[in-house]
Amino acid sequence: MNIIYLLIPLGLVLLALSVWAFFWAVRSGQFDDLDSPGTQILLDDDRAPPVVHSAESRDA
Amino acid sequence: MECATAETLCFHCGSPLPHEAALAVQVGGRLHAVCCGGCAAATNLIVAQHLERFYDFRSAPTRPADAAARNWCIFDRETALRRYTHQRPDGERELSLQIEGLSCSACAWLIENSLGQEPGVTHVLVNASAARAELRFDPQRVALSRVLGKIQALGYVPLPLAFSAGASAGATERRAALKRLAVAGFGMMQVMTFSVSLYAGVMQGMAPELKQFLRFVSLIVATPVVLYAAQPFFVSAWHSLRARSPGMDVPVALSIGAAYVWSVTSTLRGHGAVYYDSVVMFTFFLLLGRFVEMSLRHRQGMQHDAIARLLPESALRLEGARAERVTPDELHSGDRVRVLPGERVPADGRIETGSSELDESLLTGESAPRLRNRGDALIAGSLNLSGVVEMSVTRIGQDSTLAEVSRLLERAHASRPEVADLADRVAAWFVGGVLFLAAGVAVYWWQVDPARAFPTVLAVLVVTCPCALSLATPAALAAATTALARAGLLVTRGRALERLAGADRILFDKTGTLTRGEPRLAETRVLSTRLSANRCLEVAAALESCSGHPLARAFTSFVPASGVSDVRTAPGRGVEGMVDGVRYRIGRAEYVLEGCAAGSPLAPAATEQGHTSIVLGDRIGILAAFRVTDLLRSDARETLKQIQSLGITPQIVSGDHRGAVAAAARQLGDIFADAGMTASAKLSLVQSLQSQGQRVVMVGDGVNDAPVLAAADVSVAIASGTDLAKVNADVILLGQRLSGLVYGVESSRRMLRIIRQNLAWAVLYNVTAVPLAASGWIEPWMAALGMSASSLLVVLNAARLLKVCPRSAAPEHQPVERAIHA
Repeated sequence: MNIIYLLIPLGLVLLALSVWAFFWAVRSGQFDDLDSPGTQILLDDDRAPPVVHSAESRDA
Repeated sequence: MECATAETLCFHCGSPLPHEAALAVQVGGRLHAVCCGGCAAATNLIVAQHLERFYDFRSAPTRPADAAARNWCIFDRETALRRYTHQRPDGERELSLQIEGLSCSACAWLIENSLGQEPGVTHVLVNASAARAELRFDPQRVALSRVLGKIQALGYVPLPLAFSAGASAGATERRAALKRLAVAGFGMMQVMTFSVSLYAGVMQGMAPELKQFLRFVSLIVATPVVLYAAQPFFVSAWHSLRARSPGMDVPVALSIGAAYVWSVTSTLRGHGAVYYDSVVMFTFFLLLGRFVEMSLRHRQGMQHDAIARLLPESALRLEGARAERVTPDELHSGDRVRVLPGERVPADGRIETGSSELDESLLTGESAPRLRNRGDALIAGSLNLSGVVEMSVTRIGQDSTLAEVSRLLERAHASRPEVADLADRVAAWFVGGVLFLAAGVAVYWWQVDPARAFPTVLAVLVVTCPCALSLATPAALAAATTALARAGLLVTRGRALERLAGADRILFDKTGTLTRGEPRLAETRVLSTRLSANRCLEVAAALESCSGHPLARAFTSFVPASGVSDVRTAPGRGVEGMVDGVRYRIGRAEYVLEGCAAGSPLAPAATEQGHTSIVLGDRIGILAAFRVTDLLRSDARETLKQIQSLGITPQIVSGDHRGAVAAAARQLGDIFADAGMTASAKLSLVQSLQSQGQRVVMVGDGVNDAPVLAAADVSVAIASGTDLAKVNADVILLGQRLSGLVYGVESSRRMLRIIRQNLAWAVLYNVTAVPLAASGWIEPWMAALGMSASSLLVVLNAARLLKVCPRSAAPEHQPVERAIHA
């Protein structure tokens, strides 16, 4: 059972690492919008953006 | 152009179509009908950019596009750029926008892709849940006004936010809560593992040094949970104690703190019980409940930057004879500014010339317009209703009353239903009772069995936590508000919902409410030889352009006469003003006749079915009568029928002529109607109904409704109405659909039912759990689990309100042709 004296502190280190990683993810804004990114992949269009500047340059 | 399909709803925004659908757009090779020029333009723009897949993917109603072009050029000025944008080292500028009308991720996609096609826009990121956009652009290649104009052309309203380095308050709160939740969650998982080992060790035998090791490890993990994750409970408990009204966080903080301290002491002394598991579990589940509640609250979609919303986009600064549009923050103390009717006052100041009625309800809560004359003070953010005034600026920026105003607004948005206040008051008493009970239990067990005293007291404190009681209402309220916002109803005051549930009578204004509010001139009859028909129309157009009354829009297609001065509106009656030196009045016949010399010939303004007459006159007599038609909204009849089936009496109160109102009432299914009501008559009707104990809802639109809207128990405004009605209303109906009102009543009733269920559950739970805990049957960890489960149950019950699909609102997210029944 002595291995536990090594494994548990190791677990604590992992715990600290995961908390740090989560904090980093929150800070970099990855949890700010949980709705859009999921649908973004469905909507993204592979077609190259068409050249339509003539049509929109006169919009009011 | 004839429309190819038998559509009844606008393809773009889902509003009911006008009876004669004149506008059609081509999407994917098919013709679709749209309701207005704004929606047609938005759809065409979307199609021109090959973004029509937006219509397949959207999952929430789009709001009708605003046809009126707004002047965004003000944002190209250097000062505006400095205020709203931030220059990056590479010369590009970045800014944040709040986007009104952003309802789902398809909208976000649309804006991102549409702006992405704009040369010079280098980065667009739209956050759908916060309705915010982050934008980076090259000012050398594209003007900011063009970008903003494009967002508006797509049917949204961009609201540039003053640049600040940090995220919004809501995002900051959410991030902090997520971090705390993560610490508590990770901590709970670890501590639970150790606890299970310790419990197993008790049964199977465990080496004492291993036991002590596990306790120390638990201590290490539980410490950040208590000191960091549970911090909000300690802070809030401290505040509530200092305010001498102990809130629900007092027993929470007490039990977490006491259990932690007890456990630490036991650990250090090497014997005695530890409660790390209870502590971390309790903290985690409480934070989880709060987090769900906070998410519901944040989704209310009402977090506009209060100051940005109150200040006008621009102000008209006078320099000598020259008038120049500037942003409000360019103003300095001492500047002269002209404020036109319908505009907001850009800064605190004093009137130099002119007089006008101003709506200062944002500051005073008094909705009746105040007459302000020369020398009177003007307050930034108040709305100029009638006359043109010139003012000198006295206070700007931080000194102005605006900071106060934004606090007021925040408070209005934070206002909670009376049920919630009651629950909080009960909770305060309850907390006192719990602390007293805990003390009693401690004394009792100390004498009977000192070893059992602490765990029992702890169990009592934990199990009785009135969290469920205090979460019951706000969670339900937030969920209902969110669901309503999705269906196109914005609730601006919390109290409105529960009052809507108990409504006895709904009063409808006719013009712009039951009708579409897009009046058209049907006939012009010239009644004197002094003015030609064309001149009459010019004068009428000039005067009515200064009026906010819905009927005034009948004249917008005519070229107004120039040289208009000294314009004053009599709300609900008419407009008076000088045109080329002659004083004219336009409006209701009585009002115009009052302005005539005595004995002038009365021209009976014949009113026929569904038509309203507007009369133009000068000092001598009546000049012309205009017959104006306004069509009923296509869902008006159905809505009134459903309202009756909900047990609420609908009633029409209109300032219009008897004939026109009676015709409308007949068409709507013989609704009780009062015609010829002035604003004060409507007000006294509302008050007399209220004195009979009825709860009155007023649905209105227009300047003459403001005092009535404020007097009613709940005020509802249609979003296309004037700014004023919006400001004063408790509930705003978007999307031009009256039927949203039925859904509003239904959901508010459902909300009250769920609140009652929640409260009943909370009470039942406490009544059962407290005796069990006090008699020592419940271990602290069981108490933590039970209490947390109870809180979560309440929050999840409230979340049910989110799921209900509006029965009466149209399923706009489907392509329109699928929504049509044969």
